[in-house]
Amino acid sequence: MFETDTGGAQIQLRALTKQFPGQAEPAVDSVDLDIPAGELVAFVGPSGCGKTTTMKMINRLVEPTSGEIRIGGEDVLALPPDELRRHIGYVIQQIGLFPHLTIGENVGLVPKLLGWDRPKAEARTEDLLALVNLEPGEYRDRYPRQLSGGQQQRVGVARALAADPPVMLMDEPFGATDPITREHLQNEFLKLQKDLRKTIIFVTHDFEEAIKLGDRIAVLRNQSHIAQYDTPANILANPADDYVASFIGADATLKRLALMTVDEVPTEGPPDPALPQVETGTSLREALDLMVANGTDRCSSPAGVLSYTALCASIGREEVAAGDR
Amino acid sequence: MSLSEYVASRWDTLSLAAAEHALVVAIAIGIATLAGVGIGLVTHRVPRASNASLAVSAGILTIPSLALLTLLIPITGLGWTSTLVALTAYALLPIIRNTVVGLRGVDRATVEAGRGMGMSRVRVLMKVQLPLAWPLILTGIRVSTQMLIGIAAIAAFVDGPGLGTQIFEGLSRLGSVNSLNATLAGTFGIVIVALLFDLFFSVVRHLTTPRGLRVRN
Amino acid sequence: MTAETLRAAAAQPTNLRYGKGLRKLITPVAIAIVLAALYVWVGTLQLDSIEQRSLNSAVIIQKAIEHLRLTVVATALVVVIAIPLGVVASRAKNRLITPFILGTANLGQAVPAIGLLVLCTFVMGVGFQTALVGLVAYAVLPVLRNTMVGVQQVDPALIEAARGMGMTKGQVLRRVELKLAVPAILAGLRTSLVLTVGMATMGAFVAAGGFGELIINGLKLQRMPVTIVGGVLTASIAFLVDWLGGLAEDLLKPRGM
Ligand SMILES: Nc1ncnc2c1ncn2[C@@H]1O[C@H](COP(=O)(O)OP(=O)(O)OP(=O)(O)O)[C@@H](O)[C@H]1O
Ligand SMILES: [Mg+2]
Repeated sequence: MFETDTGGAQIQLRALTKQFPGQAEPAVDSVDLDIPAGELVAFVGPSGCGKTTTMKMINRLVEPTSGEIRIGGEDVLALPPDELRRHIGYVIQQIGLFPHLTIGENVGLVPKLLGWDRPKAEARTEDLLALVNLEPGEYRDRYPRQLSGGQQQRVGVARALAADPPVMLMDEPFGATDPITREHLQNEFLKLQKDLRKTIIFVTHDFEEAIKLGDRIAVLRNQSHIAQYDTPANILANPADDYVASFIGADATLKRLALMTVDEVPTEGPPDPALPQVETGTSLREALDLMVANGTDRCSSPAGVLSYTALCASIGREEVAAGDR
Repeated sequence: MSLSEYVASRWDTLSLAAAEHALVVAIAIGIATLAGVGIGLVTHRVPRASNASLAVSAGILTIPSLALLTLLIPITGLGWTSTLVALTAYALLPIIRNTVVGLRGVDRATVEAGRGMGMSRVRVLMKVQLPLAWPLILTGIRVSTQMLIGIAAIAAFVDGPGLGTQIFEGLSRLGSVNSLNATLAGTFGIVIVALLFDLFFSVVRHLTTPRGLRVRN
Repeated sequence: MTAETLRAAAAQPTNLRYGKGLRKLITPVAIAIVLAALYVWVGTLQLDSIEQRSLNSAVIIQKAIEHLRLTVVATALVVVIAIPLGVVASRAKNRLITPFILGTANLGQAVPAIGLLVLCTFVMGVGFQTALVGLVAYAVLPVLRNTMVGVQQVDPALIEAARGMGMTKGQVLRRVELKLAVPAILAGLRTSLVLTVGMATMGAFVAAGGFGELIINGLKLQRMPVTIVGGVLTASIAFLVDWLGGLAEDLLKPRGM
């Protein structure tokens, strides 16, 4: 349905506005936003600021009052809504698996709506279940109530991916899971997205989650006004104003360190086996933890020795203050 | 003769029948409430016992009223006694069910708080659980009452009291001048009795619901 | 039936089914025992000619057929009338009539069934059709109410998920809302089925036949055995129908719920 080179399609919002009848102010007021194909944009903002409404206008579960939406250059408002939705993946916090259908039937629903033939739909279902780490033979014929919350959430993601949509809308998809399951799901999802390169809008209340998953973050004020729209590293380094800074919280520095790896910092001399060892790909935050735990100001990576001073310099600071913790 | 003329000319008979109808229902509901709430209080903590009492009372409700009323004739004869026995038996299910559900539904924390204050089990039951479950129990009584008012009409067939006599009179004299009037008077009279009972229960609910439960957030 | 009880029932683990399966046999076995006892008891009686005219297999089978025919036809009509109406009443734009339907459903219980039947007689005369109209009018409400409530209580998140994946409104209704309302609809249908069997007894008052005729004739002719046979048969058929309704509920309920 949509033009796409990667797995995803570009999304453009122009002066997008929603005024619910009987309300004084619009819930979403003239939003302009460009989301490049294949990127994941995290929406963060206070409750009631219009995140869900903005998102639902894209699959037209909420009809915009005015403005323009384009996906892959195509005018979304000119398309038949039901047909449009079959090509946009949609994941909600409550998951919304149909309790009377098996896992396989839940996942195969959109392909069926699109009129795929049975063998093709079934093969797709198997692939998707495997993709989200659910052994098809074991889970396909179970019912949603026979799955744990985390497993249900995976099925929710698989179901949204069923018709290979270029665009996915995810409204706090991991919001209802416990921290450990959530981290697990996030990691799996990151791996998945690395291969799929869908264009994703991801609503979350959790700034850490936004940093971790987002290629970009849109920090929203009331009525979906965009306070800042940039990469996580840039937002952490240069919050646009106090409002954005308040979202980041006190430990911005540590969050920035968590985004960088030891490989990005210049090293001094050859690796030193006497120092605490870190592997390539270790985050700077973990490296710092290691130094503190060992009471040293250096550690050694395969590339060479990494010093506390170099680590601080990498984020343009002289030291990581105790207050950053 | 129009319906209003009919009602005016038979006012004494009709009002007596209506009063009897209300009375027989009221007595049956009174007995069923004592029995049903009692059974609920005793059994609500033992699922087996409460399920058994629910199954039995549901079974009673399955028996068609004409069958139950006539099957009682060899035991309790024609008239008031059979009517009362049948009505009471029919009223049990909604009352027991709502009592059990209501008592079980009282927040665990509330019960534990009561116990923690040193109240005995029985005291907690009577002073905490029963008042909190009361609105639901009352709903059960109300449902039973509406049902009994309808069933009581059939009791007239086994010489029971009430407005059902008017309906059967209309039926037996089908085609005569006042048969339609009698049927209408009986049927609508019963609906009016039902409305009055419902009104009564609204008032009772308002007066007996613990004040704290009436306040809505 | 409230949403909570529906949920609670749905959440019951399936391993209870086995115990239930055994318990399910109690009803038919009990009915069989009661009927056998009735047969033996009647056999010990010295029946006079009046009693013999009612208490023979030909008459009893005929009454059973009349009774069941009335019940089945009425129930079929109830299904055809009440479910579509319930769906219409459940739609958001018709929510204004919801309290009206619920109120009528509750007060409708107080309208005496016998009064309704006799009033129908004044319009249509006596016979099968009269009884049918009275029965249907009486039994429509439980099914209508349960359909409406069953559809309305479907989790809004499921409807949003269904809409979000591109189902049309009709598809959402057929594939999600109605399917999920099936347990509630079946429960309402079972209630109205039992009501109908009971009320079909009164069909005898308007010359529609059925087991009620045995009860009434026995009383009129002062032949208690006839009345008792009629009463026991009526009760047995009510229990049997309720039991079958329970089986159908278990069978037709969507799996996974
Ligand atoms: N269907 C609706 N009708 C009327 N007002 C609505 C409707 N949906 C949302 N709103 C209003 O629009 C505003 C934005 O709601 P929205 O659901 O988009 O917020 P949100 O950012 O997703 O909040 P949360 O983080 O709590 O999910 C709120 O003030 C809300 O009350
Ligand atoms: Mg939201």
